[in-house]
Amino acid sequence: MKNALLCVASALVLAWPSAANAQAPTAGNLEKLSDFKTTGTPMDIPQVPQTGAKADAIKKNLARIKLPRGFKIGLYAIVPDARHLAVGPQGVVTFVGTRKSKVWAVTDRDKDRVADEVKEFAPSISFAIPNGVCFSKDGFLFIAEQNRVLVYPAAEFFYEGPDVAAFVVVKQGELIPPEEESYNHTSRVCRIGPDDKLYITLGQPFNVYAPEKLEPYKKSGIGGIVRMSREGKDREVFATGVRNSVGMDFNPKDKALWFTDNQVDGMGDNQPPGELNRADKAGMNFGFPYFGGGKTRTNEYKNQTPPADVTFPQVEMDAHAADLGMTFYNGRMFPQNYRGGIFSAQHGSWNRTTPVGARVMFTKLKDDGTADKTEVFADGWLTENGEYLGRPVDIAQLPDGSLLVSDDFAGAIYRIWYDGR
Amino acid sequence: MARHRRAMRLIAVAVLLLATAAPSAAGDVAAGRRKALACQACHGLDGLSKLPDAPHLAGQPERYLVKSLDEYRKGVRKNELMTLVVKDLSDQDIADLASYYSAIEVSAQPPK
Repeated sequence: MKNALLCVASALVLAWPSAANAQAPTAGNLEKLSDFKTTGTPMDIPQVPQTGAKADAIKKNLARIKLPRGFKIGLYAIVPDARHLAVGPQGVVTFVGTRKSKVWAVTDRDKDRVADEVKEFAPSISFAIPNGVCFSKDGFLFIAEQNRVLVYPAAEFFYEGPDVAAFVVVKQGELIPPEEESYNHTSRVCRIGPDDKLYITLGQPFNVYAPEKLEPYKKSGIGGIVRMSREGKDREVFATGVRNSVGMDFNPKDKALWFTDNQVDGMGDNQPPGELNRADKAGMNFGFPYFGGGKTRTNEYKNQTPPADVTFPQVEMDAHAADLGMTFYNGRMFPQNYRGGIFSAQHGSWNRTTPVGARVMFTKLKDDGTADKTEVFADGWLTENGEYLGRPVDIAQLPDGSLLVSDDFAGAIYRIWYDGR
Repeated sequence: MARHRRAMRLIAVAVLLLATAAPSAAGDVAAGRRKALACQACHGLDGLSKLPDAPHLAGQPERYLVKSLDEYRKGVRKNELMTLVVKDLSDQDIADLASYYSAIEVSAQPPK
């Protein structure tokens, strides 16, 4: 009897960990922060340990990673659940989103190109799936959550303490209708465009959605990309016919928006292909749900006529490899061949019989701004037995021209640099 | 007599439960580990959740795993991801996966 009671008691404690945590952020904090007031959150923000058995194991795994000659990879930081990356324009801090409830601030204080401090960003605020992080050139950090967008002016300055300047861009419940909130395809990605507008990808929650969702999703931009002013005004749907984009970036050369898209499951191991797309203007339709990836028709919509103006992908990637974060390479550290091209991350398949992916891909562009060819840039996170040692999520460029790669499986950020040796 | 009748009723219920319970092929741990490559991205080969939406499977009761997978297969339980994954699993696949994940030893340390 006593044992049973103990069991129940510990089950209760397990079920409500946050109830036992007296320091959980309270709902009124955002209002206080928007008013530049303190919240009383403890000043001491705990740091994530950067050395030890876990760091050693990850370093050992990195020895297996294959890169073109002259490139090196090393552990940059231990960051639990690391998803999308936003490198601060001052080069002080990199902010890292997660699919849980935290955003991390990663600092390389001594500039030895290895982070020496990883701590929670804005612990006074409670986040829900704060995956999408992006900076404006003038240092405003935007964080796109499941169903809210906040902006943090001078985040690179305020991050040191628990209280940060924070303002609402899109109110809770107004990014998508609350009844459309889902655990599935909810990782938002954001960018500030060359037009100084805020762009956000909105994955649709299903594998293939039902026909009655066509109209409402088209209107709200679910299964697409929306844009709005930095204050959250003048919202419009920028692109439609997207299934679940978890990566985008603007080509600084011709201002076209490129984005990855994850394609339909359950059609076998080898179809449909993953996608890398190019949107050079607003209002383009990328084919979903009529097409499940590339030119492969979905079973659900095979008897319906697709829109005539569908734009097909620039690059067809391996089926189910899960293309996620991407960045244009604008640095000067890497050889000429890589400048102006796209680095993109493949998370790796989640249910393919033989896993594929867990790589960094490189796509070269032609002079006219369209895709030339795509090649594997870094791989080795998938063992010959099909076991994952890591799963790359996003790629970002540091001011010195090296790349950061996040990995939510290992809970780490890697740095790739070129030394020509 | 009353006690006897109650015992009989309990046995009947137990038999009924067994009969309606999911397929009961004998599972093979090694085969289960191979097949778990299609589960690892979310549940890990070590049975520890790798994604916020996925539960730990390490050390789960074997019967519960069989029952869950079978319910997804029958459509009694629905999940955008699981419904797709179990679609083509045979009784043997389910038995193998259940025996692999249930065979992973775990220990728990409740918070003080």
